[in-house]
Amino acid sequence: MNLYNELSKKYPFLKALPFLLPFALVYVIFLIFPIFRGFWMSLHRWTMIRNMGFVGLDNYLYMIKDPAFWESLGNTLMFVILSTPTIVIGGLVLALLANQKIKGQLFLKIAFFLPYVLSVAVISSIMVYFFQPHSGLLNGILQSYFGVEETIFWLGEANLAWFVIVFATLWWTVGFNMVLYLAALQDIPESFYEAAEVDGATKLQQLLYITLPSLKPITWVITLLQIIFSFKIFSQVWLITGGGPGTETRPIVQYIYETSFKQNSMGYGAAMAFAFFIILVIVSMVQIYLRNRKEV
Amino acid sequence: MENKTSPTTKVLKYSFSYLLAVLFIFPILWMLFASLKPSGYHVSKIIEWFLPPYSFVNYSDVIAQAPVLKWMLNSLIVSASVTLIVIIFDSLAAFALSVIDFKYKNLVFVLFTIGLMVPTEANVVALFDIVQKLGLINTYPGLILPRIAIPLGIIILKEFFDAIPRDLIDSARIDGCGLFRIYYSIFMPLSKAAIASIGIFTFIQAWNAFLWPFIAIMTKEMFTLPVGVPTFTDAYTPDYSIPMTVNMIASLPAIAAFLLFQKQIIQGIKFTGIKG
Repeated sequence: MNLYNELSKKYPFLKALPFLLPFALVYVIFLIFPIFRGFWMSLHRWTMIRNMGFVGLDNYLYMIKDPAFWESLGNTLMFVILSTPTIVIGGLVLALLANQKIKGQLFLKIAFFLPYVLSVAVISSIMVYFFQPHSGLLNGILQSYFGVEETIFWLGEANLAWFVIVFATLWWTVGFNMVLYLAALQDIPESFYEAAEVDGATKLQQLLYITLPSLKPITWVITLLQIIFSFKIFSQVWLITGGGPGTETRPIVQYIYETSFKQNSMGYGAAMAFAFFIILVIVSMVQIYLRNRKEV
Repeated sequence: MENKTSPTTKVLKYSFSYLLAVLFIFPILWMLFASLKPSGYHVSKIIEWFLPPYSFVNYSDVIAQAPVLKWMLNSLIVSASVTLIVIIFDSLAAFALSVIDFKYKNLVFVLFTIGLMVPTEANVVALFDIVQKLGLINTYPGLILPRIAIPLGIIILKEFFDAIPRDLIDSARIDGCGLFRIYYSIFMPLSKAAIASIGIFTFIQAWNAFLWPFIAIMTKEMFTLPVGVPTFTDAYTPDYSIPMTVNMIASLPAIAAFLLFQKQIIQGIKFTGIKG
C-alpha cells in the first residue's frame, strides 16, 4: 500500500480532497476571496494601477455623505418596488395560461419563455429600437393604428424611462418565474379539483380556494429570488437608458461601475460594493426569517 | 353537476392566451424580419417590416466584417470551456460530498452553499483587481474562471447523487473499484439527465453573460458577442438592418439550443429556482 492510501485510511478527508480541490480552488480565489479583498480595498485609496495608501473608514464616511450614492440606491429600490410585483404576478398569470389543457400549450410555453434565452445585450438592443422616438416600432404602431399624433420620447422623461426598463425586464425574464410556477402547478394533485367539481365549485372558486393557496410556498421562493435579482439590476439600464435621463434611472451597480472603472476610484467603488453586498445579505436574512416565522 | 365553462369564455380565454404569446415573440420576429431587409431600407408602414422582399445580404456583409466572426469564436470558446469545466469540477465535488465520509463534510457543503448568496455584481471591483494581478485581464481564462466559481451545479448534483442507491457503491467496492472508477462508471452515467440540464443551462448563461466580460475585456479582438452587440446599437439612426442582423447572429445559437433542448432547459430552471 502506498503512503496516500495509508494516510487516507486514517484521514478520510484526504480521500475527498482530489475530488473537492479543483472546484474549491476556483471557488475560493474567484468568489470568496474577492469579498475580503473588496473590504480590504475599501479601506484604501486605490486606483486601477495601484494601492495609494490606507485611509481607514474614509471611503465609507464619504459614501454616507455622497448624494449620488443615495440617489442610485433609491433608484435601485424604485426598480425593486416596480418590478417585483409585476414580474412575480406576471409569471403567475403566464403559468396559469400555459397550464390550461388546450391545443398549442407547448407553443404558449415556448413563446413566453423565448426572450429569456436571449442575451441582455440583444434584448436591450431590440428595446432601444422598439422605443425609438422617430422610427421606433412602438411609436410607429401608435401613430399608424391608434391615432396618436405626438412623438413620444420614451427615454426622455424619468417616469417613461422607468416604464421602459420595467417593461424590458418583464418581457425578458418573466418566463423564468413562469417555469417555476408551472412546476408548482403540476404538483397540485388532480384529485383536489375532482373533489371540487363533485361539490359543484366553479372554475373561479377552484382557482381561489385550491390553486392560489397551494402556490403560496413557491410564491415566497419566487419573490425572494426576484427581489435579489432586481436589486442587482445593471445591464439593461446601462444599455437602454444609460442611467438617464441625467442620472434619474442610474442604479447602484452602475454607480459602482462608473466610480471604479471610469473615475478610477476603486477604493470608493469597493466600499459601495461592500455596502451593497451587506444590504443584499440583510435582505436575504430578513426574507428567510419572515419565511421561517410564517411556517411555524 | 356538470360544470362546463361556457363556449364564449373558452374562446375568449384561448384567444387571449394566443394573442399574448404572439405579442411575446413579436419583437423577436421583428428582429428577424428587420435583419432580412437591405441596409437603408425605408419603411413607411409598419407592416412593411414583415413583408418581402427578403435578403440575406446583411448576414454576409456582417460576417465579412472580421470582428463578428471572431466574437462568435470567442463566445464559443468561453461558453464551451465554462460548460465542460463546470460539469467536471461540479460533479467531482458533488461526488465527494455525497459519497465519501469525512470530517467537516457538512461544513464544506455549507461553505459552498454560502457562495450562492454572493452576487457577481457586488464582487466585480475586487474581482477585477485579483484577475489583473493574476495577469488574466483580457484573456480567455480571465473570462472563464470566475464563472466556474458558481456553486449551483454542485448543490443540484449532490441532491441527485444522494438519490443513487448505496448498494451500487458496495457491490462496486467488492469488485475492487476505486472511488474514481465509481464516480466515472456509475454516478456519471446514472445522472446523465441532470448533467445535461446543468450543461445546457450553463452554456446559455455563459453565452449571454454581459457584466463581467464587459469589464474584463479590453480590446475589440477579445469581445464576446454580447459585449460586441451594443457597439452596433445606435439610438439615433433609423437604419436597423445591420444591428438587427448582429442581434440575430448573437441569438441564433441560444434560440437553437433552446428549441432543441427545451425540456432540459426548463428542467434546469426548476432545479435552479428551487435550490437557488
